[in-house]
Amino acid sequence: MQAQTLDAFQVIADPSRRQMLMMLSKDNMTISSLAENFNISRPAVSKHVKVLYNAGFISIKDIGRERYCTLKQEGFNELQDFIDYFDKFWTNKLKKLETLLNNKTNKK
Amino acid sequence: MAKETKQTWQFKQSPEEVWEYLTKPELMEQWLMKTNFKPVKGYKFQFTFVAKPGSPYAGIVDCEVLEVKPFTRLSYSWNGSTNDGSRTFNSTVVWTLIPKEKGTELQLQHDGFISLDDFTNHNSGWIKCVEKMTDLLNSSSHASSNS
Repeated sequence: MQAQTLDAFQVIADPSRRQMLMMLSKDNMTISSLAENFNISRPAVSKHVKVLYNAGFISIKDIGRERYCTLKQEGFNELQDFIDYFDKFWTNKLKKLETLLNNKTNKK
Repeated sequence: MAKETKQTWQFKQSPEEVWEYLTKPELMEQWLMKTNFKPVKGYKFQFTFVAKPGSPYAGIVDCEVLEVKPFTRLSYSWNGSTNDGSRTFNSTVVWTLIPKEKGTELQLQHDGFISLDDFTNHNSGWIKCVEKMTDLLNSSSHASSNS
């Protein structure tokens, strides 16, 4: 099964994946125990897990026969960086607007 | 975790003067970006910019006017994309002008980065969740550094 690499926004656009992140925010879980909470096929669960892994939202550790999923900061950082980017963008633009308006007033 | 950009600016000029700079393409270009904007609800327009070398953004923002209340409120959708098409985002920009004794208070809200919004609507506990996650991550990295 092909596991695509999606960006952070595409990753959290899916309700099942959001729910998985929520569950993992409470505790680390094995893929099997995650799967028990969903009415979707095990391969489908694995695919979602792979997507989360590829986008840096979780890490996976093999312990014995089980695969443990743990939340990872990286994926969340991308979301925050994006919002921060726009915050800086607008600060920069509005400063320009302020200068423009002030220059205009001074010319009067 | 913030899910939107919200800023408040004070200007000495009247709402009418500030409004001009928010709605006239030749003035918008001077501080924001080149655009073919028209203050008409439903009008589709674009902002174009020269992306910095190395920037993933494609240099075009596709927009549609959502609301025009002269001198009071202006909003448009803001849809950007990256050069390789790997990332697109839909969002909304809302400008609110509030007349003040000595000028105008200009509020900007840029939000609705769709999935994020969906995320927070879906579960209001999300922010708490992320905070908890950060704690967890911090404590687990301590734990692993001790081992």
